[in-house]
Amino acid sequence: MSEPHAIVGQASPIPAAAGIGLRFPHHACVLEAQPAVAWFEVHAENYFGGGRARQALTAVRCNYPVSLHGVGLSLGSAEGLDLSHLDRLRDLVHAIDPGLVSEHLSWSVTGGQYFADLLPLPMTEEALEVVCRHVQQAQEVLGRRLLLENPSTYLQFSHSSIPEWEFLAAVANRTGCGILCDINNIFVSASNHGWDPLRYLAALPADAIGEYHLAGHAECTLESGRVVRIDNHGSGVAAPVWALYEEALRRIGARPTLIEWDTDIPAFEVLLDQAAQAADRLRRITGASHARAA
Amino acid sequence: MPALRELQRSFGGALLGGPLPVGADAELLRIYRNTCHGTLTAALALSFPAVHRLVGAAFFESCAAAFIPIHPPRRAYLNDYGQEFPAFLGSYGPAAVLSYLPEVARLEWAVNRALHAADAAALDVAALSAIDPDEVPTLRFLPHPAVSVLNVSVPADAIWRAVLEEDEAAMAAIDLTAGPAWLLIQRRAGGVEVQRMNERGGRFAQRLCAGQTLQAALDAEADGEQAAAELHAALADHLACGRFTGWLLSPSQNPK
Repeated sequence: MSEPHAIVGQASPIPAAAGIGLRFPHHACVLEAQPAVAWFEVHAENYFGGGRARQALTAVRCNYPVSLHGVGLSLGSAEGLDLSHLDRLRDLVHAIDPGLVSEHLSWSVTGGQYFADLLPLPMTEEALEVVCRHVQQAQEVLGRRLLLENPSTYLQFSHSSIPEWEFLAAVANRTGCGILCDINNIFVSASNHGWDPLRYLAALPADAIGEYHLAGHAECTLESGRVVRIDNHGSGVAAPVWALYEEALRRIGARPTLIEWDTDIPAFEVLLDQAAQAADRLRRITGASHARAA
Repeated sequence: MPALRELQRSFGGALLGGPLPVGADAELLRIYRNTCHGTLTAALALSFPAVHRLVGAAFFESCAAAFIPIHPPRRAYLNDYGQEFPAFLGSYGPAAVLSYLPEVARLEWAVNRALHAADAAALDVAALSAIDPDEVPTLRFLPHPAVSVLNVSVPADAIWRAVLEEDEAAMAAIDLTAGPAWLLIQRRAGGVEVQRMNERGGRFAQRLCAGQTLQAALDAEADGEQAAAELHAALADHLACGRFTGWLLSPSQNPK
């Protein structure tokens, strides 16, 4: 088991402790009550503008380590990155000085249109080259290392030739980026495609993993009768996902761990409780003490 | 084996209602299609809350479903999504009976822009006194990104306010034949404010925000001493309320 360690970002590193994904309904509560949360993560694009949103994030950043999680860079777009998007992300990174910056192994933009979802990539050599090129480009523009999150997917492409876990490991190896290991996404994709989630975990390079994500998902029965797990972030972390998280802690070690909840967002106390459950496992399994920063 | 670019083009086309990519599983593709449309519809509802309430969730969803394939977002920044929605509503047959709807939507778009515009410092009014009087005729102002001027053909501001405040009495009192109105939209510390201007003040503010020289704006709108005094008072108010971020003295000079 690795030593608990924090990922060193810039001024304020993200501790190997439980953090919470901060969404708009909880801004006021967090700024007023200043709850004991080790760190927060926000969706970068929600803070590209000015006004109240940016003001709130700046205020939160004064009191907590903050991680920026991009959802729109579209690293897998064959047609190249939207440089104005990357510039806005860089400006936000400079303004907020986050402990971590992460994005997704997916695509959202083609033909100059944005599809507002994290869409699946075929796991091919061509896609691998595209993703590596864009991760490198983003890391150069941002002047820092990116963490790349494994996606949750509902379909696979018949011409895919590289297992997703090998694809991720290859991107990390070639670009020096880290991996944001989303435990719920591994579980969702493994269930949908008949993969072994433990094999997936075991195949990821532990040293490259810089963060875990935990969230809830839904089980949905399609018209054909097929059951698909949907990564909707609309409930608490499911029991098998907690079990997989425990396995990750045993095999990989303590890392910053985020609770995400994006649909039917509950009272902040519910998120605090989820974070406490993650913190309890971190402590119990890895001995990581609360909010220890490097 | 399709190249990545072609695969993404055809996948994206299918999300907007185009034909399915060869060999695609329609049922699984629909999961992505639903997420994409759901997220974009929610983004439009956030930017156009009064339109959403005026027409109801179901009608709004059909508007969005018709709008999204014609005007999908061009950027992965959804606070900027919906610029074409007001004009679209004006051409959308099922909404034709609500003649005021596009005007309310235009106001909501201006409010949305003000809400998310970049932060910028207001110009230092004291520094204006250093301008050489000879150069004053070439003086032009740079509008704050969170400020805009809007001319609406119906009392869209009254409708917008009554709908969002759920003020039935105010809603009942709205006179749709009251004629056009000039609105000034600005983000202040407490939120976005929408205030009325008279026609002269509205045209004057619009000229200044469009980058005309102060002199040209005054010449065009001040027809008499009283009007000139009124416009000078309006200018003082614009400056005091931080509606400009800088000025230019001639086309060749840099912003101050």
